[in-house]
Amino acid sequence: MDLSPILLTLKLAGITTLLLLLIGLPFAWWLSRGKAFFKIIIEAIITMPLVLPPSVLGFYLLLAFSPQHGLGKWLHDSFDVQLVFSFPGLILASVIYSMPFMIGPVKSALQTLPASLAEASFTLGKTRWQTFWHVLLPNIKPSLFTATVLTFAHTLGEFGVVLMIGGNIPGVTRVASIAVYDSVEKMDYASANNYSLILFAITFVLVIAVFVFNRYQAKSPLA
Amino acid sequence: MKNEQYNNKPKKIIFFLLALFFCAAAPVFAQNIKVAAAANLQPVMEVLQKDFKQKTGISIDAVIGSSGKLVAQISNGAPFDVFLSADMDFPETLFKNGFAKQKPVVYALGSLIICSTQNIGFDNWERLLLSARVKKVAIANPAIAPYGKAAEQLLTGKGILDDVKPKTVYGESISQVNTYVTTGVVDVGFTTQSLVKEVADKTPLFYKVIDPKTYDPILQGIVILKHGADNANADKFYKYILSPAAKSIFKAYGYRVQ
Repeated sequence: MDLSPILLTLKLAGITTLLLLLIGLPFAWWLSRGKAFFKIIIEAIITMPLVLPPSVLGFYLLLAFSPQHGLGKWLHDSFDVQLVFSFPGLILASVIYSMPFMIGPVKSALQTLPASLAEASFTLGKTRWQTFWHVLLPNIKPSLFTATVLTFAHTLGEFGVVLMIGGNIPGVTRVASIAVYDSVEKMDYASANNYSLILFAITFVLVIAVFVFNRYQAKSPLA
Repeated sequence: MKNEQYNNKPKKIIFFLLALFFCAAAPVFAQNIKVAAAANLQPVMEVLQKDFKQKTGISIDAVIGSSGKLVAQISNGAPFDVFLSADMDFPETLFKNGFAKQKPVVYALGSLIICSTQNIGFDNWERLLLSARVKKVAIANPAIAPYGKAAEQLLTGKGILDDVKPKTVYGESISQVNTYVTTGVVDVGFTTQSLVKEVADKTPLFYKVIDPKTYDPILQGIVILKHGADNANADKFYKYILSPAAKSIFKAYGYRVQ
């Protein structure tokens, strides 16, 4: 059995989760403050991958990344970067695709913190970032944990987007979900079963971890 | 009481009308035949459907996919009446396993082409594939798409398969290869000649027909499936596909016929 699709999937999920921690946390913090209408619009856009079929995202990425015109052409001509059929392209797609899983829980948790918490920190002479890093984040650990694990797990389950822009290249874009599909297409049900079981086991452990962790934190599991 | 009766009247009328509609519609629904067609036929299928409807009044529901995928679906009980494959092996397998009424018959010979949206000159396409000019080459998944198998065989024969592999992306069927070529996300793709005719007015394509001597002929076979065994319309469609009328349509789309 070829394990490379599984390893590739784990690599993709790991990098995506790290990037979303870097991008998503400050972003969630920014969204959690104030109720401006444009913030609602932005939040709605970030949430779209939850409700849109992944094929829609895949379709637009395919058009956007095409080296023939627009953004894809500029990337291609300026940096010689091609995002379709490449691992970096999958990372970008996964970041968009899993963003609501990182931002949603973190933003909700930040909004439930009492305002006095940040104010006390400012009073003691801490900067905004120090406050965010040392005061706010430690107070939302359970949600942070949930968001991180679910972002990782959700990326493991990515399929439609990769089917559209991946090209099924072994070791580059042939992730586990695609390997399952491909094996079924070839009527190689034994391989399909192997990949499926491994995926099931990994994601099940992750989801259990979230539920157990949250039980001790006395919070609802998906908050 | 009276009120109730009065209330029931429209309901009864609607029920009666619905019943009438279904009785009238039943033969119409039964007339439709379900055809599973290999992805290379996508461009030509619409024309065949129209022509067949004109001649017989029978509508066709076509499902397009890679031959291998369709065989897997048929083997798992998909209710198709007729299967138009891109090769002979897949329908042969169906017949062997008892899913088809009879052995497959060739209805057309496919033409493999190399094609691009850019005018990059295909005179020496072997060298072109190896050059830095070409970054991505699309091929249909050889395991389930006969055109992909032919393309792989061609590259093996030219001794450049291993060199082209790093540039290769796999479409799940020839349809996906066509998408990759026409959107320009790949530089070149190996596909079917019928694509060129289909998109002629939308996307000008540059292509070269591959010398048929360099790969095994793509003999495309048709079978009537178990599900359509007693369906007179399926039989009509089968005969139509092998008729001169259909053959001339296939020819117009770049297929060769026997």
